Formats: sequence, structure tokens, C-alpha cells
Amino acid sequence: MNPFFNTDAATLSPVALFLQADWVVKAVMIGLLLASIWTWAIIIAFSRRVARTRREMAKFERDFWAADDIDAFYKVHGTSELPSARVFAAGVSEWRNSTAASPIDKSGTRERLATAMGASVAAEIDHLSDRLNILATVGSVAPFVGLFGTVWGIMRSFTSIASAQNTSLAVVAPGIAEALFATAIGLFAAIPAVIAYNRFSHGVNRVEASLNRFADGFHATLSRQLDGAR
Amino acid sequence: MERAEKVGLGVAAAGHLVLFGLLSVGFLATPNPDKLRATPVEVSLVEDVALESAAPAPAADPAQSIAPEEGPPEDAVPPEPAPAPPEPAPKLQPAPPLPAPAPVPRPQPAPPKPAPQPKAAPKAAPKQPRRPAAEPKAAPKQAQPKAAPKQAAAAPKPTTTAAAKKGTGSTQTAAAARPRGSRLGDDFLKGLSAEPSRSTNPNPPATRVGAQQAANIGAAIQRQIQPCANRQVSPGPGAERIRVAINLRINRDGSLASRPTVRGSTGVDDDNRRYVDRVEDLAVAAFVGCAPLRGLPPELYDVPGGWSNFTLRYKLPG
Repeated sequence: MNPFFNTDAATLSPVALFLQADWVVKAVMIGLLLASIWTWAIIIAFSRRVARTRREMAKFERDFWAADDIDAFYKVHGTSELPSARVFAAGVSEWRNSTAASPIDKSGTRERLATAMGASVAAEIDHLSDRLNILATVGSVAPFVGLFGTVWGIMRSFTSIASAQNTSLAVVAPGIAEALFATAIGLFAAIPAVIAYNRFSHGVNRVEASLNRFADGFHATLSRQLDGAR
Repeated sequence: MERAEKVGLGVAAAGHLVLFGLLSVGFLATPNPDKLRATPVEVSLVEDVALESAAPAPAADPAQSIAPEEGPPEDAVPPEPAPAPPEPAPKLQPAPPLPAPAPVPRPQPAPPKPAPQPKAAPKAAPKQPRRPAAEPKAAPKQAQPKAAPKQAAAAPKPTTTAAAKKGTGSTQTAAAARPRGSRLGDDFLKGLSAEPSRSTNPNPPATRVGAQQAANIGAAIQRQIQPCANRQVSPGPGAERIRVAINLRINRDGSLASRPTVRGSTGVDDDNRRYVDRVEDLAVAAFVGCAPLRGLPPELYDVPGGWSNFTLRYKLPG
């Protein structure tokens, strides 16, 4: 066949194993391969995004606590895409809406501030962990899909034993090898997905905790402001 | 899909392509299993396999020293005693100073023996030229030829005395006296003698009787006692299931050396237990009745497992 690829059965060539496989096993392999590619794409993108987000959030909070005028700070950072900036913007807009009326309902304003910022935190975390469910799905399902391909391929190998009336290893071995290749791909996709899922869950939790701390701090600041206001 | 995810997708796809490409070109190829495949071995199933040496392996006699021989010894030419002493010819030419006529007997084995000859010759030679004028003097001349033959005759004496003394020594007598003219001495190889000798190897003729031979002997004995066994009457139902292990001590001529002894019985159950003694007696009687056993292989008599002491199973016919 292709002179570049070793397609003889004696090698560990994935192409050869794929080409010899049954169509069910082929479908399983293709699906698992796509899952693996998608998993790694998520892993790469997510790790970059989480790292950047945490770095920028730390910088934002430093700037925020160092800023004197919240209104001026809001003018600069009000439209930022950063989760902390979104929470900050949600708090500021709620503060402005609540303090627009002349008799200020202090406790109601505090509740609304907390609710608005909590909702903003939740929305940001949701947006951040959007792809994690894919990792979880791949990590838990891919081994079973691979196992399904293996079982199917081994069943087919046994059928070929029966048809060839020959139990020698040479008859069974290629079929079993290609069948096991499906499990191999499944594990190949699942193991990084599980590891990445656990690691990114931890990262998202840290981001959420940090956002909540920031929201609480901002809420405390606004609450103090509310007490000072007439 | 964000930009970061597109980048990640591209990187992941490229990584998978590279990995599978590497695997495809044999990056982790297993060795060719064709080399591991065993070559088929032809197997033939045989019915009888004798694991032990079945045939007698008589120990060979030790080799005999056979050395190249020189053929029948020849008689020594009798030394001409006559010419020398009674030749007092005064005018004898002193030319033959070398004792050529001196008998050089063929079988004379020792080359150093002729040593005296040159000794004699020089002695005589200087004497000759010293007195060229004194020719009439026969005394020295006589002495010289005399000495030469004497010396020469003395040389062969030690080896060919017998033949030489007989004078006419014929070939017969010479051969009888010394039948062998080996170039090598008797002890040219230690431990090997020139005479044929019996083996002192203590090994028995056959190491053991093989299983097949034992079965053949047993079958032969069974065949010969079958007439006696056929005459016997079963003492009761179930008695023919009893198998008696019986031990025979047989002489070399086939007769029984002693009364056969019963080593035990098998196949005894509740039905035939009361017939066991009777069957054992019948078994002994059958062997005694057809006693002289013929045609057993004599070479397997006295080897371990041979038929000098043979145990076999007997059962009543039927």
C-alpha cells in the first residue's frame, strides 16, 4: 500500500491496525481519536486561559485596592473582560442604581449588591468552566467506548477462528491486536482528560474563591460607603 | 469557540499527527514475529519404546598389542670360522682389513654392535703401513685377520647364538625359537599385553532387561503354562477376577529352582474373597505342573530384571 507507512501486521503501526479493523472498530477508533484531539485542544486552551486569568486578576485586584477613586477606576476598567472587572462592574452599576433614589434603603441596597456580585461571580465561573464537562465526559466514557471496540474486535477474531478451523496464533493475533488498539486509544484519550479535569477543577475553584474574596471585599467597601452616605 | 481554543485545537491535532506518524513509520515497532515462529518439527508416534538397553552389551576384551612385524626371522649366516684362523697364508694381501665377510646377521637389531669393527680395523691398518718391508713376517698378519673375525663373530653372538650354534638352523627351527619379530617390545603400551586376555570389566552383559523384553518373557512363560491352566476348574463364580502375583525362581535350564511363591492377590472383592486361597494354590500348581520352561532367551537370564527371578500375574482362564 503506502510505501511510507508500514502496513504489515507485524508492526505497531496505527495505520495498519486501523486499516485491518472492522468498520465498527474503525468508527470507535475515529471517534476516540477525535475525542483525544478535542481533549488536548481544551487542555491547551484552558491551561493558557486560566493562567492568564489568574495573573490578570491578581494585577487587577492590586490596582483596585491601590486606587483612590472608584469612579475613575471604573472608567478605566469598567468594560474589561476580566472576571474580577465584571464583578466590579456589576457591583458599581448596582450601587449606582440603588443610590440614585434619594431615600436610600441601606439594607436593601446591601442585599442587592451581594446578589448582583454573587450572580456575576457565578456567571464568570460558569463561563470559565464551560469546557470542563467535555473533559469529564471523555475521561469517563472513552475507556468504555474503547472497550466496546475491543470486545467487538475480539468477537470478530473468534468468528475468524471458527471460519478458518485453525486456532493458531497467526489467525487470532492480528484481530486481537487491532481490537486492543481500540482500548489503547480509549485510554490514550481518557487518561489526559481525567488528569486535566481534576487539575482544572482545582484551578477553577481557586479562581472562584479568589473572585468571592474580591466580591466580599468590594461589598464591604461599598457597605462602609453606604453607612457614611446620608 | 475562542481564539485560544482554536490555537489549542491546532496544536492538539498537530501533536496527534506527529505521534501517529512516528508510530506508523516503526518508531516502536516490535521485532518481526516471523523470526520467533518455531520451525515445525516432524514427530512420529511409535508404539513401543524401550527406554532401557534391551540387548546384551558384552564388554569387549581389551585390545591386544599387535605391532608391525618383520616377517619370519631369517637364519643368521653362520660366520665362516674357517677362513680366518686357518689362513696362515703368509702372502696374504692385507687388503681385506675391513671384516666384510664378517657375518652381518639380518636379525641383529643393535646398530651399536658393529662398533668393534672400526676399532679392529684401525688397529690393523696402522700396523700394515708401519712394516711394509717386513712382509715375510707373518705374525702380525696372522694376528690381524684373526682379530677381525673374532671381533665380528663376537658381535652377533648375543643375539643369534641359538641359531648360529645350530649351524644348519633351518627356518622352521628359527621360527619356533623366536616366533615373533616385533619392532616394539612387549611393554610398548603399558597394560596391553601381546597375549589375548579376558575382559575384567565387571559390568553385567546387559545393564537391564528392557520393558519389552520383560513382557516377551512373561508372555512366553504364560504360553507354556497355559495348558496346565486350562485344565484347572474355577472354584466358584468371580474367582477368575482374582489375579495372583506369583514369583518364580528358575534355573538356567528352565526348571523351577524352588516352589513358586505368591506375592499377593488383586481383584479380590466380596464375591470371590473365599476363593483367594484356592486360586493361589491353583496358580502355584499350574506353574509346577508345566515346570520346565523352554525357549527363554539365555542372555537375559542373569541380568537385573532377567528371568532367573521373575514375577508375573496369573489368573484363571475364563
